[in-house]
Amino acid sequence: MIGTLVVNDIKLFFRNRFFAIVTAIGVVFYLAIYFLIPNQVNESLGVAFFIEDGEASPLFQRLAEETGDYTLFDTEAEMLTAIEETGDYFVGLSFPSGVTAAIARGEELDLNAYYAPGVPAEAKQIFHDVLVLIANAANPDVLANLQRFNDTEVVLGNDMTGAPLSFRDRILPLILMATVLMEIFGLATLLTRDIENGTARALITGPLRLHEFFAGKALMGMILAFGQLLILGIVTGILGRAPLLILTTMLLGSFLMVGMGFFVAAISKNNTSVLAWAVIALILMMIPGLSVLLPGLATGWMKVIPSYYFVDSLHRILNFGAGWTDLGRNLALLLAVGAGTLAIGTAVTRSRF
Amino acid sequence: MAQPAISVNDLHYSYGDTLAVDGISFDVEEGEVIGFLGPNGAGKSTVVKMLTGQLTPQQGSASLLGMDIVKERKQVQQEIGIAFETTNLYEQMSAVENLELFAKLYKVASFDAITLLEKVGLGGREKEHVAGYSKGMKQRLMMARALVSDPKMLFLDEPTDGLDPVSTETIHALIRTATQNGTTVFLTTHDMVEADKLSDRVAFLNQGKIVAFDTPSRLKLSFGMRALKVEIELPDGGAEVRELSLDQDQTAQDLFELFKNERILTVHSEEATLEDIFFDITGRGLQG
Repeated sequence: MIGTLVVNDIKLFFRNRFFAIVTAIGVVFYLAIYFLIPNQVNESLGVAFFIEDGEASPLFQRLAEETGDYTLFDTEAEMLTAIEETGDYFVGLSFPSGVTAAIARGEELDLNAYYAPGVPAEAKQIFHDVLVLIANAANPDVLANLQRFNDTEVVLGNDMTGAPLSFRDRILPLILMATVLMEIFGLATLLTRDIENGTARALITGPLRLHEFFAGKALMGMILAFGQLLILGIVTGILGRAPLLILTTMLLGSFLMVGMGFFVAAISKNNTSVLAWAVIALILMMIPGLSVLLPGLATGWMKVIPSYYFVDSLHRILNFGAGWTDLGRNLALLLAVGAGTLAIGTAVTRSRF
Repeated sequence: MAQPAISVNDLHYSYGDTLAVDGISFDVEEGEVIGFLGPNGAGKSTVVKMLTGQLTPQQGSASLLGMDIVKERKQVQQEIGIAFETTNLYEQMSAVENLELFAKLYKVASFDAITLLEKVGLGGREKEHVAGYSKGMKQRLMMARALVSDPKMLFLDEPTDGLDPVSTETIHALIRTATQNGTTVFLTTHDMVEADKLSDRVAFLNQGKIVAFDTPSRLKLSFGMRALKVEIELPDGGAEVRELSLDQDQTAQDLFELFKNERILTVHSEEATLEDIFFDITGRGLQG
């Protein structure tokens, strides 16, 4: 009986052109993005130099050869063009003739640092400090007076030394979450439309019991959300890494979306308000995904948004090899929030029949 | 004695402080058509909602086909068909798909949607999406859906409201066919002519109470006045209608006097309508 309802709902879902297109094209679109994003890691700091000063040139030449992080240009014009047009450099420095000698004499001097657009002020400040050190490195007296110190490296969080993440790896959890987020909108619309049009009433005063009606809707949401995740998982090949853990996370992530879909339906009076509430929900749920791209964004408040635990779990499984023990709390929270929103959504929605 | 198809005992329901149904009781025999009449707000829909399991009675009890409407709600719902007043069909599906969905959910073996659709006059358009149907077509499809499970009892809420004569007659024919097969029909309507035409008995509901419940003919005999309307020609060339009650002793003499002294243009017999009776009993009309 529930199976008949699920088949019917899936049929109706795909008869809605918007949902059909968003679902089908969404999967293809996200996969295209994933495969178009480079899988290599750019470890270069992207610093460009033009050294006019003959005395400083050998020092920087050696620096460029040793680290590979620095590029020496023959002319200042070439350097500026490279910074502006290639996007490979975030800063360029021009050392005019006589700088080394001036430093050696302890004179104050002006140096030009050319930044690429969008370099944050904090990065500029850090580079300024490094620049002062580099410039002074040309002065043997300064180097002679430097205090030696021993440091112990402590990596907070996951040690990425030697295994940096490519942008493709980093964006995959975000892609997986974005794919299923639309199901919140789809499920909430189907539920609300059934209530608005009275078809839900026709079903539950006839062949179906109330719990069967809700079970059918929840199952349909799970099938659509989990189905899309499964397709993405198979095509991207991630299921080979920790299949059971990834599938469980996907299942609980789908469950969360189903719960949110019920919740959105519960707080919406009609299809128009579903759209409004669903957009707010989608934006909110998307925010934690950005923290995977830009780890510095992950602040405490973000953990209030339940999708954080889905995207964080995927990120840790896929990129850091996290296991069941590491993710127990995340998975439990996904289950709890999914069940909670589903219960609230069901209770509120049934009162509108 | 056979058990009644519907047995209602002292049913009450209030929406907050508003008393919608105030202790109604009645029985309906199997195969009967009951017309449930009353103005808006009289409590008709609340009674239907309680009997069909959409609302739980706050007081009293009722049974349908021997099953308690509260304790055996789902079993009751499996045996009844409902045609709601407002259309509630899957508009993005065809008529066939709408019916087949319900047939599958009711687990009807070897269901023939096409034959049923032909019966309700929708043959030839069964594959079109319901969204493109007229109101009359949708109402006929609602009726077909109510019949999918071959129910023992039909609840029809204003089934012909706003329909064209052809659609109305199709639905009336379906109701007659259903009752011939032993189906009990619970019909709520504003349309007195329809109720008179189809109902074995009618119940007048006013302010949550049943104020009269009998066959239309007996209600007319009990509450109505049979009369003759005689149109006479006036000396100035105009006309005047005189009404003579058929239930008074001097009627024959009055009629004789009219024929003797006046030029008679027309004579018509007239009996009270259900609407007249409802107005006499309640002091209000059925439209509001």
